[in-house]
Amino acid sequence: MASAAARVATLARHEYRAAVRSRVLLALLVIVVITTTASVYVAAVDYASQLADYRAYVAAANANGIQQVAPSPLQLLSLLRGAMEYLEIIGAIIGITLGYLSIARERSSGTLPLLASRPVSSTELAAGSALGALALITTLVAVTAAVAVLSLGIIGNDWVSGEQALKLGLAYVASIVYLGTFYCLGAILTARSRVAANGLMLALGIWLVVVLVLPQIGDTLDPDNQVPGGLFSALTLDKPQEDLVLSHFSTYETIRTNIETASLAKHYERFAFAMTDVKEKYRGLTLGQLLHVKRSDIEWMLLYAFALGVALVRSFRRQLVNPRGADS
Amino acid sequence: MIATIAAHQFRSLRRRRVLSAFGAIMIAVTVLAGVIGWSSHRTIARVYNEAVVLLGADGGAAPPNPFELKPTLSLLSNMAIYVPLIGALLALIVGNLSIADDQSSGIGRLIFSRQVSRSSYFLGKLLGTTAVVAVVLAASLFVSIVALLVANETAPDVGDLSRLVLFYAVSWLYLMVFVLIGMVTVLCTERRSLALLSAIGVWLVITFAVPQFTSGLRPTASLNPVTDPVSTTQTFFRITSHARPFSVSEQYKHASAQILDTASGSAANALVRILPIAGLAVSLALAAFWLVGRHDYSRSTSSG
Repeated sequence: MASAAARVATLARHEYRAAVRSRVLLALLVIVVITTTASVYVAAVDYASQLADYRAYVAAANANGIQQVAPSPLQLLSLLRGAMEYLEIIGAIIGITLGYLSIARERSSGTLPLLASRPVSSTELAAGSALGALALITTLVAVTAAVAVLSLGIIGNDWVSGEQALKLGLAYVASIVYLGTFYCLGAILTARSRVAANGLMLALGIWLVVVLVLPQIGDTLDPDNQVPGGLFSALTLDKPQEDLVLSHFSTYETIRTNIETASLAKHYERFAFAMTDVKEKYRGLTLGQLLHVKRSDIEWMLLYAFALGVALVRSFRRQLVNPRGADS
Repeated sequence: MIATIAAHQFRSLRRRRVLSAFGAIMIAVTVLAGVIGWSSHRTIARVYNEAVVLLGADGGAAPPNPFELKPTLSLLSNMAIYVPLIGALLALIVGNLSIADDQSSGIGRLIFSRQVSRSSYFLGKLLGTTAVVAVVLAASLFVSIVALLVANETAPDVGDLSRLVLFYAVSWLYLMVFVLIGMVTVLCTERRSLALLSAIGVWLVITFAVPQFTSGLRPTASLNPVTDPVSTTQTFFRITSHARPFSVSEQYKHASAQILDTASGSAANALVRILPIAGLAVSLALAAFWLVGRHDYSRSTSSG
């Protein structure tokens, strides 16, 4: 008799292969890879031009005997901002689609009643499906990361250093957790819906609120986002003056921040932006300091992933107890 | 016959509570847009007052109030984001259900055993879904007027009302594009879920990917009604910007901003911007018409 680990591995392999065969998933993968490449390409072309200007400036300064010049303000990893945003928006849909397909496929092929007749526990089924989906998500994120790094090197004419690679690696690990959480959401809601398509619609409704609406509300309530170029710049206020003014709006800012905090997508975005040097205030920090500053976002991401993971096991248990055959 | 099919389609979407769900969500986002507009406007006015005091204490001159020239309808500027974001997704579902339901329930097979032409069937479907979108947007228009009345403490004048009606007319056209995408994807695919996901893929491309290629707008920048102008001096953008007139989501946002008077340009200019949207709607309607004519309705019920 096969061990539990072997059964889980078999289920995971089945999940991986079945998802790869799905044309929908392939189409979404093509979209995310193309958009990532294009967004990095656009940013990298601009970066290469600015880097060439900076190097010419350094060379001219050195030729004139000036040895100390200002360091480059350019941050290589910040070119990945667009790519991270695509993972935030489209990646979440890919996660939901994987979860939906995982359940809908078993239902339409009628394999769940068959599985229920075998010595496979709900935990093994959930673990197998989740591991297969996780392997697929990792493949997708790894391809995206490879495309991003190669684009930075070839188009941006600057290669990622060891420390940058570590930070980038952590950002992509967060991406895997983030996509995995949405996989759980898609699988849970599809498993709990009598008609699979209804579960998909519900999951997409939640995606809309969590990924687009809540961050959008938080963003548009930000006073600085009300005027092109920033309100505080328009009012000619510097940073200390801005902080002084905002200190009179602590309740408003607390509500705005809490709306954003309710969104998993915002936690992922904040962590990924900190790791890829998008936000200036994090650029001087070491990796240890960064992880310390961002521990709240890490905790929230892990909490969401854990809660939905537990709910996924419960949903699979229900599926096995009351397996539905071909879905209508 | 067209009117009968349209009435059936309308009733069917109402019975499935799609009409009430669509209407409730659009009314909720209209209220949300009004509340956000009112709240941020009030906060900005207070920030400005604080800034004037602060700069005055430092002996500096107060800058002009950036909100002084804000038009009354700017309170609803977020609607130009919610329509392509939420309205378009709901419109995809309306389009998807209008065709997929007839396939899965077997009505499609039954209806063509009668003296019904494919063109009457398609026009009836189009008319029925058009009515659903129009009813929902009419309700949203009403709520917008109430929101303006409450927030500004005065009724909008005839000019503002005309602009508001024009904005909702353009929104209706924009949403019809997505209703038709929902129909076309069902007619092109074998499963309704595959159709829905394909339609969402098209929505993602139109809403996020195309604006980045043509204008350098990052995905999350597309979510804010106020965006910083992006440098498009690179060769890449010099080439892709030629396609900007065909980026329908950008054209819709610009047209809406001009109609609501939150961006420079007259409402007449805005009408030029909707030509690509109208062109796309007509093209999709023709494609759907052709696909309905070729579709095999004798197939049995399809699965999820």
